Amino acid sequence: MADNREGKSILTLNHVTKRFSGLVAVNDLSLDMKERTIHALIGPNGAGKSTAINMITGLLPLTEGEIYHEDTKISGMNAHQIARTSCSRTFQNLKLYRSMTVKENLMMGNMTDRKQGFVPFLFDIKNANKEEKLMNEKADQILEFMGLKDLAGEYPANMPYGKQKLTELARSLMSDPRLLFLDEPAAGLNPSERVEFVNIMLKVFDSGIDIFLIEHNMDVIMNISNYITVINFGAKIAESTPEEIQQDPVVIKAYLGDRYKQNMARGASNA
Amino acid sequence: MQVFVQLLITGIAMGFIYALVGIEYTLIWNATGLLNFSHDKFILFGAYMFAGTYVLGLGLPPVLAILFAVLTMFLFGIVSAFVIFNPLSKLSTNLFAVIGTVILGRIMIESVRLIWGPLPFTLDNFLRGSIHFGSVVVSKAHLVIIVVCSLITAGLQVFFKTTKTGKAMRCVSENKTAASLMGINVPMNIAFTIGLSAIVCATIGILVIPIFNVELQMSSMIGLKGFASGVIGGFGYLPGAIVGGILLGVVEIFGSMLIPSVYKDCLSFVLLIIFLLVRPSGILGNKR
Amino acid sequence: MKVNKTSALIAVAAIALAAILPMFISNNYHLNLMIQVLINIIIVVGLNFITGLTGQMNLGTAGIFSMGAYTSSLLATRLGINPWICLIAAVGMGFLIGMGLGYPSLRVSGVYLALTTIGFSEIVRILMTNLTGLTGGALGVTGIPPFSILGHKFQTNKEIYYLYLVIAIILIFNAYRIVNSKWGRAFLAVKDNPDAVEAGGINIASIKILAFTLAAVYATVAGSLYAHYVGFINPSAYNLEYSINYVVMLVIGGIGSVPGNVLGAILVTLVPELLRFMENYYWLVFSIITLLFVIFLPNGMVSLFKGKKREEKAGKGAQANGR
Repeated sequence: MADNREGKSILTLNHVTKRFSGLVAVNDLSLDMKERTIHALIGPNGAGKSTAINMITGLLPLTEGEIYHEDTKISGMNAHQIARTSCSRTFQNLKLYRSMTVKENLMMGNMTDRKQGFVPFLFDIKNANKEEKLMNEKADQILEFMGLKDLAGEYPANMPYGKQKLTELARSLMSDPRLLFLDEPAAGLNPSERVEFVNIMLKVFDSGIDIFLIEHNMDVIMNISNYITVINFGAKIAESTPEEIQQDPVVIKAYLGDRYKQNMARGASNA
Repeated sequence: MQVFVQLLITGIAMGFIYALVGIEYTLIWNATGLLNFSHDKFILFGAYMFAGTYVLGLGLPPVLAILFAVLTMFLFGIVSAFVIFNPLSKLSTNLFAVIGTVILGRIMIESVRLIWGPLPFTLDNFLRGSIHFGSVVVSKAHLVIIVVCSLITAGLQVFFKTTKTGKAMRCVSENKTAASLMGINVPMNIAFTIGLSAIVCATIGILVIPIFNVELQMSSMIGLKGFASGVIGGFGYLPGAIVGGILLGVVEIFGSMLIPSVYKDCLSFVLLIIFLLVRPSGILGNKR
Repeated sequence: MKVNKTSALIAVAAIALAAILPMFISNNYHLNLMIQVLINIIIVVGLNFITGLTGQMNLGTAGIFSMGAYTSSLLATRLGINPWICLIAAVGMGFLIGMGLGYPSLRVSGVYLALTTIGFSEIVRILMTNLTGLTGGALGVTGIPPFSILGHKFQTNKEIYYLYLVIAIILIFNAYRIVNSKWGRAFLAVKDNPDAVEAGGINIASIKILAFTLAAVYATVAGSLYAHYVGFINPSAYNLEYSINYVVMLVIGGIGSVPGNVLGAILVTLVPELLRFMENYYWLVFSIITLLFVIFLPNGMVSLFKGKKREEKAGKGAQANGR
């Protein structure tokens, strides 16, 4: 597939493969994400999207291949080391800290970029307090940016799902990432929450953060992404701009086509 | 050679005791998800009930006393299921549950001390003496332990595989929601399991009387070693508890020939830690 | 660190009370109890890091405590080293144990970790009892010298109480700072959701080991203080029951909260003494009270004061990540 896009690569996957004892979840996947894009990875259920994002962020080890974040090789690193290359992510099934308030959740997001170690913390009370204050201010800023300010003291379990998703996104912004991974950001949101989330995603992108996302919801994908990689059965079947992907017969057959057929069949049986 | 055989029999006998301990807490673990840290007190309670009340107190013949002790412990198990284990298993974290069972143990040992007094005693004619097989001398107690424990382990396997109650108990340990949807009375079933566990505890308590006498600390070591044997064999898995128990008993007895016997007790804890770090699933863990 | 005025006031009042109370107490036994309370507070506040916040069940406190006590007292009696240096050595021992026990916690959790720590504690006890040449065996170590400053020996209970009160306040203050800082949040986060912690760029391994090390250092310091206070130690008391007692204090007071830990340590140390009038029955009655507490007030005494919200959530979160 000819790739005539301009710009610097921010994320590169070279022939990445993942096998789970016999089952090939991701097969020889290569992709190249350019700076200043919203790059989407899509595919039908079980295509290997989540496996791919988990490998990129270090939660799953690769079987073969290499992954680069800009020029840093991140395959083989632990999840926390990858996160420190200014990557950040959200999860498909929310992973919030349930015994902490929204603000405390956020303040966990940038624990590492405030550098004070434990022993200095014990003896340098002044700097420790300063750091805590900076974290507080940062959290306030982001809460403001996300429109969550009045929920700062609330516990996640007491909030609607949409707000919980926003909280997780806010937490992932705390570390000032260059590259943000979103795992099914619109899943489980109702239409109005989805609109809110898309707007905030665009706002985040405009603030200078590149976004790599996995998504099921076609409206969201087609509206916001600049470039799309489609995988099926773990292998890449197409890669292009949203407009071209919508026209691509392979994609329609593998992904949209099947679904439309199902929908038609369901419609027929209901009628 | 005869020394070897004698040691082997002693080891197997102790191993069977550990195996029964393993079975007894694994039953509760599987049914409720609680690790019963008061299990050694259940054993203690059974022993005192049998020796203190039924034999010495009421002067019953041993067979009848065993029957009564087992029955009393079964009822005690049922009651404690509803009063203690049921509320504990509903608590939010297992930290509270652990503490709950430990405190239950404290209450039991204090009750034992108040009811039967703090002084150790023993039963003089109960399972004493030895039997000669050619040149091999085997103590009666060890032989009885091996026979009774084999019968119980075999009996439990048959019970779980063939009877309706046994099958229901296995369902409950797999999935409580599904079990209750299939029409199994889950709380009653759990209570019965704990009652069964209490019976096994009482049996252990009665069997070790000739070895440890009847005193307040008689069961604390076998309680802890029972945990070790469960981990070694495969935690939460009955055959694992049996294999781990017998292995531990034998390793311990032959290990004490190599190292000073005071460190014998260390051996099981060292094995426990090694297994937890190297192979947490235990010897039989994969077969689940 | 956010310190609101009320809690600062309560802290000042508590310290003032702790400072003037001995002036009205002449009974040596009561002073002895108060010193015991201070030592227990230090242990529980330490245990809170690993068991309360990080959610790793540690039932090896007896082993850690006795390692601290033995390190300190053997150096002092066998080599004649100054008790203060022995105390520092006990801190070093705490580091070693914390690293040593922290490593298993990376591989096993829940009851498995509890069993590992029990195993550790039992091994320590058996070795202390049987390595007679080194530890004095079951008879233990006697003639452990007290602390001294500028030639002044802290010998009466009152002097020791004030010295230990100062040490305890320093340790409690630091514990409070840690719990209410990014470190405390990281501990809690490990209990709530380990994956999210890793994705946040934090190394879980180092956080767990830090929590274990803190717990171990607090316990070994307490062990050292205890040894130099009573002057003799022997291994018989340091069994599972002993370790459990500290977890009971933690649970009764309220897991996760430093004021709760302090309250729990005070209550569990003193209430049995108040029940002594029941003679033979006091321990039974106390055990029943604690059981009722665990079942009906699992979030501890602090949940009575600060509204249940946070604690309930803590419980639920832990359940979601349970076993």
